Amino acid sequence: MDQLTKYYFNWEILRDTFPLLIRALGIVLELLVLGLIFSFIFGLILSLMRLSRFRPIRWIAGAYVDFFRGLPLLLLLTFIYYGLGLVGSRSGLRFLILDPIPAAVLGLTLCYAAYSSEIFRAGIQSIHHGQMEAARSLGMTYGQSMRYVVLPQAIKIVVPPLTNELIAMIKDTSLASVITTPELLFRAREKMGVVANPTPLTAAAIVYVVFTIPLIRLAARLETRQGRRRSPVDVSADIAGQLPKGAGPV
Amino acid sequence: MITLIDVHKSFGALQVLRGIDLHVTKSEVVVVIGPSGSGKSTMLRCMNALEPIQKGKILIEGIDITDPKTNVNKVRQKIGMVFQSFNLFPHKSALENVMLAPMKVQGKSRQEAEAVARDLLAKVGLDEKAGGYPDQLSGGQQQRVAIARALAMQPDMMLFDEVTSALDPELVAEVLNVMKDLALGGMTMVVVTHEMGFAREVGSRLIFMDGGVIVEEGDPRQMIANPREDRTQKFLGMVL
Ligand SMILES: Nc1ncnc2c1ncn2[C@@H]1O[C@H](COP(=O)(O)OP(=O)(O)OP(=O)(O)O)[C@@H](O)[C@H]1O
Ligand SMILES: [Mg+2]
Repeated sequence: MDQLTKYYFNWEILRDTFPLLIRALGIVLELLVLGLIFSFIFGLILSLMRLSRFRPIRWIAGAYVDFFRGLPLLLLLTFIYYGLGLVGSRSGLRFLILDPIPAAVLGLTLCYAAYSSEIFRAGIQSIHHGQMEAARSLGMTYGQSMRYVVLPQAIKIVVPPLTNELIAMIKDTSLASVITTPELLFRAREKMGVVANPTPLTAAAIVYVVFTIPLIRLAARLETRQGRRRSPVDVSADIAGQLPKGAGPV
Repeated sequence: MITLIDVHKSFGALQVLRGIDLHVTKSEVVVVIGPSGSGKSTMLRCMNALEPIQKGKILIEGIDITDPKTNVNKVRQKIGMVFQSFNLFPHKSALENVMLAPMKVQGKSRQEAEAVARDLLAKVGLDEKAGGYPDQLSGGQQQRVAIARALAMQPDMMLFDEVTSALDPELVAEVLNVMKDLALGGMTMVVVTHEMGFAREVGSRLIFMDGGVIVEEGDPRQMIANPREDRTQKFLGMVL
């Protein structure tokens, strides 16, 4: 028991580590905010491309999504930072050399855009096609119908699964430590080396969990609330379901 | 106002419309009947380019909507459409449902759009439900909001696709009455319905469709009393 406390919950080391980690948290938040904004915007664009009338556009977006869903984020980060960096310094194409934070944001964005596009696509497709038709029959363009009618309804549906993406992204920011981003895990490992004791990892774990657990609870609550609210919608969709589905271009 | 010339439409191998010729003149109320799957909804959807056609021509006020150069968004503004399943926007109140298109498509100001919307909601008897959301309204009320929403674009003609079929029987009359008022006001209408009373009373022409063609057309009262074609007779025997 003493050993356990000494190596994993060493009070003095914990006390020294926390201020360090709180500062590193700023970097985590930076990765998170930028990664979220860029990946959601890009993901929304990808989802609209996948629902496009034009086959080549659908195909490009589909290939992108499959590729980045299949790729380990760690490999992508390594490629962006070390791989491109190496080529950049060898060939003199300096723009290929990225600092750790931009490299991490780029990697998170590329992967998470693929994940979130699947969520957006499912959300948009869950809106009954009668909504789009009603909007188009009023003279709205495809873009206006999406913007004012379909997307506002889809957003409500995608909030719970996007919350889960956020949780996953918080954890995945720790992968950026491999490309020397001075974020939480990176600082904790650094400290571990200095004190020759794994307690800093415990401290990092505590910080992560303090952030993720409330979000996990929130996501669960949003999901059950939505499950309840869905029922009246489903009833009207059933009525509409008796109509032949108009799958043609609207 | 609406002219269909030899319109053919198929979904893959399934031929749904096999040569429809139809001319609807101003202020006419054309009532369309026919068995399920005969292509009534498809014909209506083709009239405002919700479905592309494979052969033939559709003219709306002389404009060929099957011409790829035609701006269908412009043409659709002249055609109001009401659906069996209402399709109100559930995230918007009744008033906002009616206001949306005039603001976004016609560029009306909020005040202008609201004034028009309140007028129309009053016209369909729903002034006190303006702030209600679709899921707080009965089916009949929702359908009347949908009619007001279509009217807000000041269309020259209206298409109705079995708009009372999803309603409880006691709510049918309130919707039919709104449609009757519209017809009396001179609106050009194409109405797919099984309500033979409406056809007899309000229709200026009755069309019987089967198998993707117009089998018979004529004056509603005469046709209901003495159908010429066997198929019409059989069908009327079932719905009357
Ligand atoms: N988007 C679609 N894709 C494939 N087939 C379709 C589509 N829409 C309609 N159909 C088919 O076309 C045929 C005609 O359908 P339509 O909806 O026009 O009939 P309807 O006369 O309106 O019937 P109902 O009285 O049941 O509404 C049906 O066989 C239907 O299954
Ligand atoms: Mg139909």
